[in-house]
Amino acid sequence: MQVRVHFYSYFKDLAGASEITEMIAPGARLESLLQQVYLRFPKLAAMRKSALVAVGVDYQAGEYLLAEGDEVSLFPPVQGG
Amino acid sequence: MRRELAISEQKIDEQALSRSRAASAGMGAAVYFVGIVRGTEEGRPISGLAYEAFEKMARYQFELLFDQAQTRWPLESVRLVHRVGFVAAGEASLWIEVVAPHREEAFAACQFIVREMKRVVPIWKKAFPLA
Repeated sequence: MQVRVHFYSYFKDLAGASEITEMIAPGARLESLLQQVYLRFPKLAAMRKSALVAVGVDYQAGEYLLAEGDEVSLFPPVQGG
Repeated sequence: MRRELAISEQKIDEQALSRSRAASAGMGAAVYFVGIVRGTEEGRPISGLAYEAFEKMARYQFELLFDQAQTRWPLESVRLVHRVGFVAAGEASLWIEVVAPHREEAFAACQFIVREMKRVVPIWKKAFPLA
């Protein structure tokens, strides 16, 4: 199934794109998708410890079960204010 | 609890926000905080900061924080404005006001929302060095 992945802040520069589409197995967990993304973008992989991950508008952990059409977002620590 | 939230490229009009303050008879405290862009970043002079938001998620996360604040303190209103786009040094990037019966809960709620915003609301900034 297809899942769209969005990047924000300097993660866009590290990925060279603001969004990509990844193919994953049905029933895959978020952590599997992230492994795929990090393999594709080694510069992002270097930031994995500090990366924040959301599905839709909620933060999610690696065990989250992805569904067709999910919008995943990957970004660095937030800095508002 | 009344809520107003704006994520905007427009300059923050503090006077207009103050003029539009509403507080019912039982309210004894209006605490507001203004975040101002510093003229330096890591010791170097800057012209300003460019703010980027994942707006849909930022709005949702702000609402969650307002929900939590409402649960913890008897607030009458929270109003919050966050700039996006380029904000020059010296300009306001954040304005928040909390109206409550007493100052303790107003200060505490204001501090809580700003502190948690810096942890969960997806907004980022990029410094522009002074040319």
